[in-house]
Amino acid sequence: MKKRLSPLETLRISTLAAGALVMVTPFVYMVSTSFKAQQYVLQIPPQFIPSPATLSNYERILLRGDFGQYFLNSLFVAVTATALSVFLSAMMAYGFARYRFPGREWLFRLLLLGLMIPAMMLIVPQFLIAKWFGLIDTLWGLIVFYVAGNLALNTFLLRGFFEALPQELDDAMQIDGATVWRRFTGLALPLARPALATATIFTFLATWDEYAWALTSITSPENKTLPIAIALLQGPKGTQWGLVFAASILAITPVIAVFLIFQRHFVQGLTAGAVKG
Amino acid sequence: MPRWQTYVAPALFIAPGFLIFAALILFPMVQAVLMSLYDVKVVAGAINAFVGLANYARALTDEHLWLSLSNSGLYMVLTVPPQIAFGLAIALLLQKTSPAQPFFRVLYYLPVVTSWVVVTLLFKYLFADRGLINYLLGLQVSWLSDRWTALVAISALGIWKGIGWSMMIFIAALQGVPAGLIEAAKIDGANPWQRFTNVTIPAIWPTIAFVIIMLVIGGLNVFTSVQAMTDGGPGGSTDVVLTYMYRQTFTFLDFGYGSTIAVLLTALVFALSAIQLRFFRNESTA
Amino acid sequence: MIFALTRRGALLSMAASAALLFAVPALADDVTITFWGSYGNGGNSTQQDALNNALIPAFEASHPGIKVKYVDIPYDSLLQKLTTSAAGGELPDLVRSDLGWVPQFAKLGVLLPLSDAMGDFKVLAGKTYPGVLATNLYKGKYYGLPLDTNTRVLVTSQAALDAAGLSAPPATFDELKAAAAKLKDKGMSVFADGGLGAWNIMPWIWSGGGDITDPDLKTSTGYLDSDQNVATVQMLVDLYKAGQIPNLIIGNQGATGTSDGLPSAAYANIFDGPWMAGIWKDQYPDFTPIYAPIPAGPGGSVSVVGGEDIVVTASSPNKDAALEFVRFTQSEQFQIEMVKTGQMTVHPDYADQQNAIAPYYATFATQLKTAKNRLAISSGSKVDGILNTELTAAFKGDVSVKEALSKAAAQIDALLAAENS
Repeated sequence: MKKRLSPLETLRISTLAAGALVMVTPFVYMVSTSFKAQQYVLQIPPQFIPSPATLSNYERILLRGDFGQYFLNSLFVAVTATALSVFLSAMMAYGFARYRFPGREWLFRLLLLGLMIPAMMLIVPQFLIAKWFGLIDTLWGLIVFYVAGNLALNTFLLRGFFEALPQELDDAMQIDGATVWRRFTGLALPLARPALATATIFTFLATWDEYAWALTSITSPENKTLPIAIALLQGPKGTQWGLVFAASILAITPVIAVFLIFQRHFVQGLTAGAVKG
Repeated sequence: MPRWQTYVAPALFIAPGFLIFAALILFPMVQAVLMSLYDVKVVAGAINAFVGLANYARALTDEHLWLSLSNSGLYMVLTVPPQIAFGLAIALLLQKTSPAQPFFRVLYYLPVVTSWVVVTLLFKYLFADRGLINYLLGLQVSWLSDRWTALVAISALGIWKGIGWSMMIFIAALQGVPAGLIEAAKIDGANPWQRFTNVTIPAIWPTIAFVIIMLVIGGLNVFTSVQAMTDGGPGGSTDVVLTYMYRQTFTFLDFGYGSTIAVLLTALVFALSAIQLRFFRNESTA
Repeated sequence: MIFALTRRGALLSMAASAALLFAVPALADDVTITFWGSYGNGGNSTQQDALNNALIPAFEASHPGIKVKYVDIPYDSLLQKLTTSAAGGELPDLVRSDLGWVPQFAKLGVLLPLSDAMGDFKVLAGKTYPGVLATNLYKGKYYGLPLDTNTRVLVTSQAALDAAGLSAPPATFDELKAAAAKLKDKGMSVFADGGLGAWNIMPWIWSGGGDITDPDLKTSTGYLDSDQNVATVQMLVDLYKAGQIPNLIIGNQGATGTSDGLPSAAYANIFDGPWMAGIWKDQYPDFTPIYAPIPAGPGGSVSVVGGEDIVVTASSPNKDAALEFVRFTQSEQFQIEMVKTGQMTVHPDYADQQNAIAPYYATFATQLKTAKNRLAISSGSKVDGILNTELTAAFKGDVSVKEALSKAAAQIDALLAAENS
């Protein structure tokens, strides 16, 4: 029986809406300012409706010609790094979750250590390693280090999910003669879809937005990624914030797209129905 | 089974990723630790003087480092509980499948997605002396002119930006709560709060552990927002560990001391995480 | 071998060898030098375009065999990138370097001493403003040449002059104090600035007749905390206590900035540089800034130099080519072309041409003649922090001005001692 707009439902929707308003207001202001020309200073009191409104910021960004190149660079790097990182992490997480071997926890703790050290302190040693491998000023140099940098978090996230998967299904497949790889790809991965989707969304965001390593490693203009391009829009002697906001909004669109695509996988009941009794 | 055979299968799964991790993260980490034992001369090929634990001795008596640490700690304490509470609350409210569900999810996720530099500027503007916050609350507080009020502003930014992250993780976790258990509890006459505490919380316990650990790490590692909002000002009073470390490394070019601060912070974070992991593992086996 | 057997083949091989003979010298000379800077930052590409479309082609035309590659880097991250690249051995040939970085990098051995490497250094150096040239000096050698410069002057508005009942901007310390008295009831602060670092406070200290150290950079105590400096800073502290200087000066980042406060008539006088003119024209089209020299004290009207130097890295494999480019940046063509894009020239000889291009530069050019350089030691970046911290306490009233200056001087003594050891 479905009751539309019960008091509880109204409360739920209005609470969500109020919270969403708080979440979104700064963003709305950002959008509004992106339509204002020559905004060096954000006005007080804040103007939410731009008047006069103009498309000049977006025009300048889109017509500059090189912005498309940076967008594609970032896209290539983020997609490749995300795919590799999530897959390798899933493998590692499965290994840690499904097997017991001496030294397992110490190995895992080593992995966690990678999460805890401030990334900026690793930049100089990483620069030397990248130079040794000839990866300086290349997009693959970015990809490889982004994969490495996200392995710890994703493995940590995915291990919990794999551990929660019921052992009975695994055993059933084993009795049927399935290899461990088949059990991994055919059983564990599909069941962990919500977690994999989460890992994908977060890794894509992290690699899309990463700045410090990209700045350090990339020198040639044609290899720049979007965060560097947006940073270049800020100047020591005055920044046009409308321009920066317009560029930032354009830069957000793929991340939102990835989010919308992968959040469909938060489907309830995948594991719920699989185990009876 | 022969001893080494227990390693074969897990090695196949773990080795590829771990090798990359070891080469590109662990090895640089070791080098960063080594840097803390030297007076690093920056230039490639220069001879660095070995100073042993001199940098560490300096760190222990460095008042400003302790101040920065207390700021990082305060930030962590102020931002972690609200992010968990709000994140979980929103995830629970969003459990119901409805056409509005993806729409709300995106709205709550937007702050996570927007760049730190941009949102810090916006919050600086919001918390300005004549900004929106003072206007809406009818106050005249000069938020960024004082250590404590500035920390409130920076924490508000951290909470606002982080709620969507933990919300996402909790949404995924809540999918894994067996509907059968909830039904059974309902039949037993449990009210929503009891169902929440006796069924849901235990079911997502590993996730709660994960979120708390990650948020503590992130809180102590706060950097970009502080650098962009106050850069440690006024007079260094809002410096956090990482802004202090960045200044030592890249402004004063003292790589050795910067590495020392990094090592000390990592050790602290590691110890805290180990304690938390132990706590959660014990609680979950109960 | 087969070719050589036939007559046609012989001719062909001779032609090929001849071509090679001519080509090889050109190939051997063809070097590419990399030049890092922040010209293109801020979404305004006029400076970068001038460099890439006019100046570099002109240089390459007059120097066949040398190619110049300019790389634009976000200013806020340039020091970090330079540092990491130095550690990794991947530095460019040339850098448009912030003034404060030159002593630091010189000490580390990252830079080439131009006074040693260039035979014509004295000639080139003699053409620049002395204060700007001094920014390249480290332990007796010059590690760069001035590239572009700027300085701070007093900026005010007609609204402010009217409110204070003045017909001209305050020209001396006393006139400023008198203006403060008149502005008290008008809701306008007589002066505002964004901090208490060297960039902010040194114009006052120099104009007040004092300095931060002795001329040989050996000691600060006795100089920074001199009676003259105490009087100068006390003047500012008194104005602050009277509510005539907003707390923006002690680092309140939530207060209205100077570039916003002047056009909106919240502040009467600020110090600022030539780059604001374009920004104000866009955001506040009805506002006309009025430029005037720094108010004169017992030491005259003395401001602080800003700008960038051009340096060559010691690790550069193409030093001769890089030095050629350095010479080119000192040429009239380069200097004037960049003036057209909003930079100021480092040569007093070109000041007239500069003023013809943009008349409001005149005030800045005159101020540059007497402008001085901030403390050029390798740990110079720490001086700002010391000044900010100690002087903030004085402004807040926690300590007396003399105590604050003495404490700062003691810390700067330590820096100088480390430098001279």
